[in-house]
Amino acid sequence: MDLVANLAHGFGVALTLNNLLFCLIGCLIGTAIGVLPGIGPVATISLLLPITFGQPATTAIIMLAGIYYGAQYGGSTTAILLNLPGEVSSVVTTLEGYKMARRGRAGAALTIAALGSFFAGTFSTILVAASGPLLTQVALSFGPADYFSLMLLGLVISAVLAQGSVVKSIGMVVFGVSLGMVGTDVQTGQQRFTFGIPELSDGVGFVSIAMGMFGIAEIILNLERPESRSVMSGKVGSLMMTRDEVRRSIPSVLRGTALGSILGILPGGGAALASFGSYMMERKLSKYRHEFGSGAIEGVAGPESANNAASQTSFIPLLTLGIPANAVMALMVGALIIQGIQPGPRMVEAQPDLFWGLIASMWVGNLMLLVINLPLVGMWVKLLAVPYRHMYPSIMIFCAIGVYSLQNNVFDVYQTVFFGIFGYLCSKLRLEGAPMLIGFVLGPMMEEHLRRAMLLSRGDVMVFIERPISATMLAIAAVALGAMLLPNLRKGKDAALAEGG
Amino acid sequence: MSWALRRRIVLAGTIPALLTARAATAQAWPAQPIRLVVPFAPGGTTDLVARLVAAGLQERLGVSVIVENRAGAGATVGSEIVARSAPDGYTLVMSNIASHGISPSVYRGRVRYDAVTDFSHIALVITNPTVWVANPRAGIRTLQDAAARAKSPSGLDVATSGAGSSNHLMVVRMGQLIGKELNHIPFRGAGPAMQAVIAGQVPMMSDSLPSAASHIRQGSVIAVAMASAQRHPAFPDVPTFREQGFDLASDSWFGLSAPAGTPAPIVERIHRETMAFLAMPETRARFSELGGTPGDLTPEGYADFVRREVAAWAPLVQASGATPD
Repeated sequence: MDLVANLAHGFGVALTLNNLLFCLIGCLIGTAIGVLPGIGPVATISLLLPITFGQPATTAIIMLAGIYYGAQYGGSTTAILLNLPGEVSSVVTTLEGYKMARRGRAGAALTIAALGSFFAGTFSTILVAASGPLLTQVALSFGPADYFSLMLLGLVISAVLAQGSVVKSIGMVVFGVSLGMVGTDVQTGQQRFTFGIPELSDGVGFVSIAMGMFGIAEIILNLERPESRSVMSGKVGSLMMTRDEVRRSIPSVLRGTALGSILGILPGGGAALASFGSYMMERKLSKYRHEFGSGAIEGVAGPESANNAASQTSFIPLLTLGIPANAVMALMVGALIIQGIQPGPRMVEAQPDLFWGLIASMWVGNLMLLVINLPLVGMWVKLLAVPYRHMYPSIMIFCAIGVYSLQNNVFDVYQTVFFGIFGYLCSKLRLEGAPMLIGFVLGPMMEEHLRRAMLLSRGDVMVFIERPISATMLAIAAVALGAMLLPNLRKGKDAALAEGG
Repeated sequence: MSWALRRRIVLAGTIPALLTARAATAQAWPAQPIRLVVPFAPGGTTDLVARLVAAGLQERLGVSVIVENRAGAGATVGSEIVARSAPDGYTLVMSNIASHGISPSVYRGRVRYDAVTDFSHIALVITNPTVWVANPRAGIRTLQDAAARAKSPSGLDVATSGAGSSNHLMVVRMGQLIGKELNHIPFRGAGPAMQAVIAGQVPMMSDSLPSAASHIRQGSVIAVAMASAQRHPAFPDVPTFREQGFDLASDSWFGLSAPAGTPAPIVERIHRETMAFLAMPETRARFSELGGTPGDLTPEGYADFVRREVAAWAPLVQASGATPD
C-alpha cells in the first residue's frame, strides 16, 4: 500500500508540466546523441548540466536521466540500420538487428527494440520502487572473487555460444582480453604491450574497435559484393511486426528484462554484461535458435530489454549508497550535490519528492521514448533506401568525425582504420568479432578483481571455490565449456584425421 | 516553448564546438568547453572537489567544464594524459598529493612526466586530513582494535584510493608503528574502495576526509581516527591518531594544473576565477562540511608547493619502502 502511495506521490511530481517538458527534452537529446556515433552521454550531460542550474533538483535529475536512457535507445537505431554500435551495449544489437535489416525486417527490429525497452523499463521501474534498498544488499554481497568468476563465466559463455568453431571463438576472446591489457597497468604503473607508442599508454579505444570491427568492416564487405548492396537498398519491407514475430519476442523480452534487472545492480559494466548475457541466453533457450546469425528477432528483443532494464536498475546503488557506479552516475551525483543534496541511504526520507519523482519519471521517460521512436521507425527505415554509394561515404565521415572528437586525436582514427581492416580479415576467416569485444571489455575488469581477490585472500586461490556465488559461477562455466568443447575437439580431431588420411 | 527552443539552439551550438575542438585556439579564451581530468574513479575526494570547482568555473567562465575520470596507477595515468595535451587552456588536471607528490617516488621510473616541469600549476584548491574508517560490523572501534587485528593471524586489510596516495603511505607507516605489516588493498579511487568497506569486503579504509565525510555522517562507516594534529572542528567526536598513541598526522591536498606552457594570461584567469569561487560563502560552508580548508596560493606559490612536496616525499617514500605492488 505504501508503495502505491509513494508511486502516486512520485507521479504527482513527475507529471507537472515543467518536469514533463524537461523529460521530453532529455529524451529527444538523448536519442539524438545516441544516433550520432562518438558523442556519448557523458559529454552531452556535462554540456547540458548548466541549463538545469536554474531548475529545481528534481527537474534537473529527470532531464539528465532522460538523456541517459534516450542515448541507450538511440544507439540501437544505428546498430540495427548501419551495423554501427556506438556503445558497448549496442554491439549485441548489431548481431541480429543488422541481419534483420538486411532481410527487409528493419521496421520490425526497430519496433521490438522500442517495445521491449519500454516493457523492461516499466518492470524495472516497479522493481526499483518496490525493493531498491533490498537489492542493494544483493549488490553488496558480491565480493571481488564473485565478480571475477561472473566475468569469467561471461567470457566462457560468449566463446561457447558464438557461431562456428569454439576453438576460434576462444581464440578471439583471448585476443580481446590481450587487447584489453594494452596500456598502463592500473596497479603498478607498468607499460604493457604499448611498443613505445605514447597514444597506447591509455589503452586501445573501445569505440575505435567497435566501429572498425563492425561498421567499417561491414562497409568493406559490402563493397566487395555488388549484389548484396542492391538487396539492401531494394528491400525496405513492412514496418509492422508480424503476429509470429510478436509471439516469438514475448518470452525473450521477459527473460531479457529479468536478467538485465539483476545484472544492472552490480556496479561496473552492468548494462554491457546484461545485453551480452541476454543474447547468449536467447541463443541457448530460444525455440528458434537455429535462426540466430541470420536475423532472429529474439536476438534483438532480449538484449534490448536487458540493457534498458539494467540502465534503470543501475540507479539503485546510487540512490541507496550514494556511490556512483560509472561516469554518468557521477555526473548525477555532481548535479545533486550542486543542488545541496547528498545522495545516500537517507535520501528516501529526506528528499521523497526527488526520490519518488525520479522513479516515476523513469517510467514517463520510457513512455516518451516509445512515443517519439515508434513514428520515427518509418523515417529511419527510409534511410535504407538511400543508394549505398551515397550511404557509405557518409557513414565513413560520421565515424571518422565521431572517433576523432573523442580525444581530438588522429591516432584514434588510424586505430579505427586498423580495426576496420582487421575486422574484414576476421570475416573472411570466419572469426567472430563479438567474443573479442566482450573479452576486451571484461578482461581489464576481471584482472582488477582477480588481483584484489588474491590480495584479500593473501594469495590463496581457494577463495574462488569457497565463496558460494563464485563457486556456482565457476561450476556453470566449467560445465558449459566442457559440454561444448568435447564434441568439438573430437570433431576437430576427426576432421584432421580425415584430412591426414 | 520558446524557452525550450532556445535551449536546443544552445545545444546545437555546443556539439559542433565539441567536434571542432582545438581549431579555435587563436580566438579569445575560453571559446570552447574545458576538459578537467580527474585521475581517480568517480566518488572520491578528487572527483567530488573537481565537480564543485567545475561548476564554479563553468558559471564564471561561461563555457562548459567537463569532468573526465581517467583512473589508474596512483593517479599517474590521467596526469600523463594532461601532461601530453596541448597547452591551450582547454585541458586541466585535478593535481593532487598522489599524482604530483607521492606517486612520482612510488612509481619511480614508470611515471612518464615530471610533476614540476611538465605542468603550469594554477591553484591549490583544498587541503584536508586523512581519516581511518571501519565497517560498523567489523568490530574495530579504536586504533588499538585495529592493531590487535593486525597482529592476529588473520591480519588487517586496509583499503585505499590507490597505491601512491597519501592514504597508502599512512597504511605503510601505521604498519611500521604497530610492528606488523598491514595488508594494503588499492582501488581505482575512494568511491569503489568505500563501497567495498560498506559491503564489508574490506574491514577498514584509509581515506581523505571529504570523500568519507558523508558516509561517516550517514553511519554507513564509523570514523576510528583522524590523522590531524588536533581534533577536527567538523568531527569533534573523532579522536586523533596521537590521542590513541600513534604519532601520525597526514594532510592531503588537491589543486588545478594545466600542461606546461599554458599562456600566462589563461593561467592567471583560471587562478583568479578559482580564488573567487573559493571565497564564496557557499563554497566555504560546503568545504567546512567536507572537512577541508580552501587553498590560498598564487600560481607561483602552488608551483613552489608542488616542488617542495615532490622533494619532501622522495626520502619518506624510500624510507617507508612503499611500492606499487
